[in-house]
Amino acid sequence: MARFHPLTVTDIRRETRDAVVVTLRPSDEDRAVFDFTQGQYLTFRRRFEDEELRRSYSICAGKDEGVLKVGIKRVDGGCFSTWVNENLKVGDTLEAMPPMGAFFTALEPDVGKHYLGFAGGSGITPVLSIVKTVLSREPRSRFTLVYANRQISSIMFREELEDLKNLYLGRLSVLHVLESEAQDIDLFTGRVDAEKCAALFKGWIDIASVATAFICGPEPMMLAIAAALREHGLRDEQIKFELFASSQPGRARRKVEQANGADHGAACEATVTLDGATRVFKFPKQGQSLLDAALENAMDAPYACKAGVCSTCRAKVLEGEVEMETNHALEDYEVRQGYVLTCQCYPLTDRIVVSYDQ
Amino acid sequence: MSDTMPIEDYLARGGVLSSPANVPPRYRGELLRLMASFVDSELAGSAGFADTINDAPGIQERISAARIVLEKADHAGQVLSVMETFGADGGRYAVHHPWAERLAREADIGAARQGGDMRLSVFHYPLQGWVDAVVMNVLMGRASVVQLKELSRVSYQPLAEVFRAVLPRETRHAELGLAGLVRVVEDEDGRANARASVAYWYPRVAASFGHSGSARFETLSRFGLRHTPNETLLAEWRAEVDAQLSALGLN
Repeated sequence: MARFHPLTVTDIRRETRDAVVVTLRPSDEDRAVFDFTQGQYLTFRRRFEDEELRRSYSICAGKDEGVLKVGIKRVDGGCFSTWVNENLKVGDTLEAMPPMGAFFTALEPDVGKHYLGFAGGSGITPVLSIVKTVLSREPRSRFTLVYANRQISSIMFREELEDLKNLYLGRLSVLHVLESEAQDIDLFTGRVDAEKCAALFKGWIDIASVATAFICGPEPMMLAIAAALREHGLRDEQIKFELFASSQPGRARRKVEQANGADHGAACEATVTLDGATRVFKFPKQGQSLLDAALENAMDAPYACKAGVCSTCRAKVLEGEVEMETNHALEDYEVRQGYVLTCQCYPLTDRIVVSYDQ
Repeated sequence: MSDTMPIEDYLARGGVLSSPANVPPRYRGELLRLMASFVDSELAGSAGFADTINDAPGIQERISAARIVLEKADHAGQVLSVMETFGADGGRYAVHHPWAERLAREADIGAARQGGDMRLSVFHYPLQGWVDAVVMNVLMGRASVVQLKELSRVSYQPLAEVFRAVLPRETRHAELGLAGLVRVVEDEDGRANARASVAYWYPRVAASFGHSGSARFETLSRFGLRHTPNETLLAEWRAEVDAQLSALGLN
């Protein structure tokens, strides 16, 4: 199971009104662990009161910068991103798992390729890492970036992108599309949707020459761009996606606290929700797992190994208490939030409420 | 560009997910089940084929069989690494079932899974010698290709990429099987044995495509984890293997 390692904050730079770029340094022995590939992300953990939160942020540094940097934009109601933007200081320690993710293609120094990137807002972070890395490691490749933002003041890395254009003359072109700010050319105002893509592919981007397209942004933008790319001849394997974390909840919900009173019954009444449908059934407290009881009651609950190692049968206990016989798949923080492996689960209370949907 | 949409709508409209962090709970369950089914089938397929290496009639056949055993285990490992990013314990998983174990030749389990072992039902039946293994490999090899083409479109990108990488090698396995079968049918005894094995394996491989009008298919297609119904994939497989078998005079 992946382990967390300490990273020291060596710099915090305010990038826009609501986004910071944090530079991090691993300890000497962890240096190899954090040797990332362009486009990967780091998963951080931190305790807020009694609750552990985990959040993933893309690395925005290139492979040749020799540092680890992440860009973190404050999300409304987002506990972790607000804390980073308002409270994090140089010298603090953050805990992170080794870099993960597959938002990249293999580097081929001898080949000249044309990459196309689409970034929406803070979706620029992994794309920037890719831009910097391929321009430095593939001297014959070029990159076209379509970068969507609401307005000029919210553009992250605007200056850095200008510097890169000058450093790699003629190999990086950046098309800024601003949703609510008029520009000289109408094409660069509004949203990046199917129509906008079609217009860009007509006069501004030679889509036939594109080897790989990278898209990172919110869901509707990803859908529109992917559809447009396919319509213009790109195959699925040429399109790389990184869905940014818009769907991450701001706050982990607390486990609902316990049933009371005496729990001496031999059977347990289980209320189980799956795909929005709730079923109530009784099953013995011993001898049958919660998963088997649900299956026996005609619920199509997910499972695979039935041995507590794969985590397919994970569900959340909302009321009551259960005991897991073995657990090789859930981490402590998940267990604290009420998650259980239902194939290993036996009830302790006379009543439990469980959901596979949360 | 901060506009978002519910993740369920995004998936229903063909959206792609890229990390365990953006996977909703029910999707997670179905995705892990799908991966477990692939891993278990590959491990069981590899384990069952291992004995066949020693039945091979020549060096080339021995190499082909060994390569199939090796690469199927490797494919299982690649998908198991994706499962590990969701918390699965890969080391324990790889050894939690006796993958070489088989039911009786005449057992009749239809398309049913056995306990927590998610291998496709066809991998519960034992192979009987070289010709039988070659026939099974031709029929199931083609089925794997049809199923992998479908799975290469799954909405979880890290998994789709593994399936796309695995597809050409699984295609090669089916071709190796066919080359072996061409040699088997060169003499009459071989042809008769092959015919008997086709009669045994054909319905069992067909059953591995699952039921038509499956309720699970509806759930999976809402999540973008499946696209083509079981019966369409089965028809595609039938058309392909029927042509191959009739070219060899085996049906």
